[in-house]
Amino acid sequence: MRNTADFPDATNQVRIIQELRRQKLLRFRLGVNTSYVVLMALLVLAFSGVEFTFFGIEFSTVSLDWDFIWERMPFIFGGVGLTILLSVLSIVLASVLALLGALGRLSKSPPAYALATFYISLIRGTPLLLQIYFFLLGLPQFGIVLTGLTAGVLALGLNYGAYMTEIMRAGIQSVGVGQREAALAIGMTQQQIMRRVVLPQAFRMVIPPIGNQFIAMLKDTSLIAITGFVWEILWRAQKVGRANFRNFEALLIAAVFYWIITILFSAVQSRLEAHMARGERTL
Amino acid sequence: MSAIVRIANLNKHFDQIHVLKDISFEVAPAEVICIIGRSGSGKSTLLRCVNFLEQPEFGTVEVDGVQVVAGGKGRDHQQQIHALRLKTGMVFQSFNLFAHMTALQNVIEGPVTVKGMPKKEAIELGMHNLEKVGLAAKRDQFPSRLSGGQQQRVAIARALAMEPKVMLFDEPTSALDPELIGEVLAVMQKLVEEGMTMLTVTHEMGFARKFAHRILYMHDGRFIEQGSPEQLFNNPEDERTRAFLSHLLT
Ligand SMILES: Nc1ncnc2c1ncn2[C@@H]1O[C@H](COP(=O)(O)OP(=O)(O)OP(=O)(O)O)[C@@H](O)[C@H]1O
Ligand SMILES: [Mg+2]
Repeated sequence: MRNTADFPDATNQVRIIQELRRQKLLRFRLGVNTSYVVLMALLVLAFSGVEFTFFGIEFSTVSLDWDFIWERMPFIFGGVGLTILLSVLSIVLASVLALLGALGRLSKSPPAYALATFYISLIRGTPLLLQIYFFLLGLPQFGIVLTGLTAGVLALGLNYGAYMTEIMRAGIQSVGVGQREAALAIGMTQQQIMRRVVLPQAFRMVIPPIGNQFIAMLKDTSLIAITGFVWEILWRAQKVGRANFRNFEALLIAAVFYWIITILFSAVQSRLEAHMARGERTL
Repeated sequence: MSAIVRIANLNKHFDQIHVLKDISFEVAPAEVICIIGRSGSGKSTLLRCVNFLEQPEFGTVEVDGVQVVAGGKGRDHQQQIHALRLKTGMVFQSFNLFAHMTALQNVIEGPVTVKGMPKKEAIELGMHNLEKVGLAAKRDQFPSRLSGGQQQRVAIARALAMEPKVMLFDEPTSALDPELIGEVLAVMQKLVEEGMTMLTVTHEMGFARKFAHRILYMHDGRFIEQGSPEQLFNNPEDERTRAFLSHLLT
């Protein structure tokens, strides 16, 4: 029989295992960060314009027109506000439509259900770009001429609203049946229950997924650029890029802006999500 | 004295199962009734039919002069059900406090939203009821911060704030840790002493023995035996009641 003194006690073993895990995680993080640095260095090299020989092979890298970049960056940056504005207005419209759509889908009234289903099917069954053209090119035929911003918000809002009905529906259904029953028992009407009990709780549930939609929306606003009526990021990039035959640089600037905005909003989003996950009741 | 609750020929099916089989009984004002019986015998369903959380297919429910005949349709029927619900307060096994509202907000929700009571007045009433259940200090806590016993007491205060004539309790202590059961039973005892009419489904035989005026034993959708606690606990007549009680004691 082995001497039990040879074995560290259980808590000690747990501590050792935890320490090993921690070290493993640290090594992984270090590896990831090193890889980022290498990746960045390669990117910088790729766009440095340097030509060099490596093991007898000649490499030439992309040379960027930095003068153009510094000169035109402010102009393209000028579109950031409009991109965000477009996204905010569209997500508000989309949320309202999604709520109506969800209520329709959950409704016992045949026309409400049919209307919601029709809306969702029609929007999901056609391309977003076509929907944008419809508002900008289709409607003027009937004398309805919208500004680019209005048309963009309508098209994006309508489109995202259809996709977001599922989110709203899940949010509404996540509110337990016990909540409704308690409300019924004190004599609340269906309308009062919706307004006072179900929706306030559903909204807390849908804020994180709506945040995700908003981030996706930020990038889809670029489709509005095609219309040529809204001076958002991509439209500005195309304009200066074409004018100077510097499309690559212009698109690169636009890409960086979209990327930064997305990273910023994603950070906000994940903090919001963590906040919600902690079960905080107040926003 | 005439009955405050009259249930007549109540029938309820879930799909093929006949859950309530022609139930009739009356409850006198200030009477405390405990309904006992095996799981699945239909106790919850009966209680939920009294305020029409479940729709019975046949029968009538009358509480304090408000009568609803099962199977009705239309606006009048809905209004009668609404009136019936105002006469009754319900306490659930799982508390069901509104999760996004504080204790006080939970309690004043009914008076303000349903009765249109001015907020100030409702807060006074709400605090009075929170005091009654011993939780005035927790007025601004959200349910997630309250223990099960505290949540259930707030739920009782919420029901009381609507000033119901009859209270319906569906296993109010079944979801609680043993050490929290007492505080809820104490609140219920207080209501008994105040003369509240109570219909209670419970497995707390101690409470039933001490406070019930009448015990109804439910079996397979019917009341097969009823009587005072002494009668029913000490001398059950029906074989099935006896089996149920001896099962409880072991
Ligand atoms: N919503 C429902 N849909 C279908 N069947 C149901 C529903 N609610 C209850 N039942 C069935 O009706 C019967 C009676 O249920 P009920 O909940 O009234 O019993 P209970 O006496 O309260 O039991 P317990 O002591 O377990 O709470 C059971 O067979 C149950 O499965
Ligand atoms: Mg039950």
